[in-house]
Amino acid sequence: MNDTTREITEFLSAALRCEVGPDDDYFALGLADSLFALELVTFVEGRFSLTVEVEDLDLESFRTANRITAFVRRKTGAPEFTETP
Amino acid sequence: MTPHTAAGSAFPVAVRSAAWHVPETAVAVPELTELASLSESERRTCLALGIESVRADDALNAAALGELAARDALAHAGLAARDLGALIVVEPRAPETLLSSEATRLQHLLGAERAVTFTVGGLGCVSVTPALLAARGLLCADPELGDVLVVHGSKPAAAGRYRHPVTVNGDGGQALLLSRDATAGTAGTGPGPGPHRSAPVRLLDIAQETNGEHWDLFHVAYRDRPTSEWREECRDVSTYSFRLAMEGRGRLSGLLDGLLERNGLKPGDVRGYVSQNLSAAGFTFTEESLGIRILPVCRDNLRRYGHLGPNDVFLNLWTAIERGELAEGDHAVLINVSPVAAWSVLLAEIGPQEERAQ
Repeated sequence: MNDTTREITEFLSAALRCEVGPDDDYFALGLADSLFALELVTFVEGRFSLTVEVEDLDLESFRTANRITAFVRRKTGAPEFTETP
Repeated sequence: MTPHTAAGSAFPVAVRSAAWHVPETAVAVPELTELASLSESERRTCLALGIESVRADDALNAAALGELAARDALAHAGLAARDLGALIVVEPRAPETLLSSEATRLQHLLGAERAVTFTVGGLGCVSVTPALLAARGLLCADPELGDVLVVHGSKPAAAGRYRHPVTVNGDGGQALLLSRDATAGTAGTGPGPGPHRSAPVRLLDIAQETNGEHWDLFHVAYRDRPTSEWREECRDVSTYSFRLAMEGRGRLSGLLDGLLERNGLKPGDVRGYVSQNLSAAGFTFTEESLGIRILPVCRDNLRRYGHLGPNDVFLNLWTAIERGELAEGDHAVLINVSPVAAWSVLLAEIGPQEERAQ
């Protein structure tokens, strides 16, 4: 797991008050509501210095930590994230 | 694409009087019969909405609720129904019969024979906004027209009252009597009263946007089943909780910024915000999205009445005035959101309260 995904899973686990893995679909699990969505998008915007525009609001980009990582990479143009053991 | 926003006005409207009718009978949310048919997750969500009870009376349909409120609003203003210039009915969630007219039904019940009468709607609880836009347009365009009465009777469309995962619907009627605003220098020569000089509320500006992508996100299928099986259903809860919620953040933020800017106001100039009563979490979402505080009265009315559709925002505004949370000269913003999807913000100025309607 790279640093970014790890950071995102830590946020998700804290926000949802349960352990969230990098490929866990917390929307499909019924864990997400609109307040969580707001918290999540605000976290992604603030932590990675980007703006989530209306055209970015594809749920597929936010269903799992790994998908958020890919979204952040697309938005910021970052090539790859550092892997840590 | 930049959406076109229905907004901008140099024609304020006076809300001359307002009245509501809610049934006396209260039903506690934990005692709703439909709870037994919900999944455990749905039941938990329903009980966590921040709604303790709703008012309900099977003997009062939407037309009756609207009529009772309308009679009160007219009586408060001392205006006879026959002198109304227009009657605008915000459509009921479900008409009792097709082909018939809920608007002329109310016209007949009230005796508003001379009123230009029609129905508006299509935007869920935001539907009060196009009614106000229509009323303002009539008052502005036709100097001969008397006052305009906007009426809505709120009854759930479905057999049950719970809309997962959003709210619990209550029963209630609302009537708003709108006049030309004398302080704006508008002339009034029509058969109704002239420009109003001491209205309890002046409606300064209106802004509204919609996104048709979500036109059927919530719906009640009815053609192929008996009414006992009608249910308010969400096509995709994730779309509601994520896509629509986050789009709403941006839409409301843009609408609010624009509303304040074109009226020469800063956020600190707004004394209070009210929104529609969906859930306690909904209030928190709006507050965190916009960086504002919703007036406490909204949570109180949510707890007591549940969701009354297009009637919530003005009920909250009037209750806030009654409680002294808003006073003469204050500016207030009324925020409305509908999952169809529609968003609106209204800018109001509080006037003198000698003629308080309720």
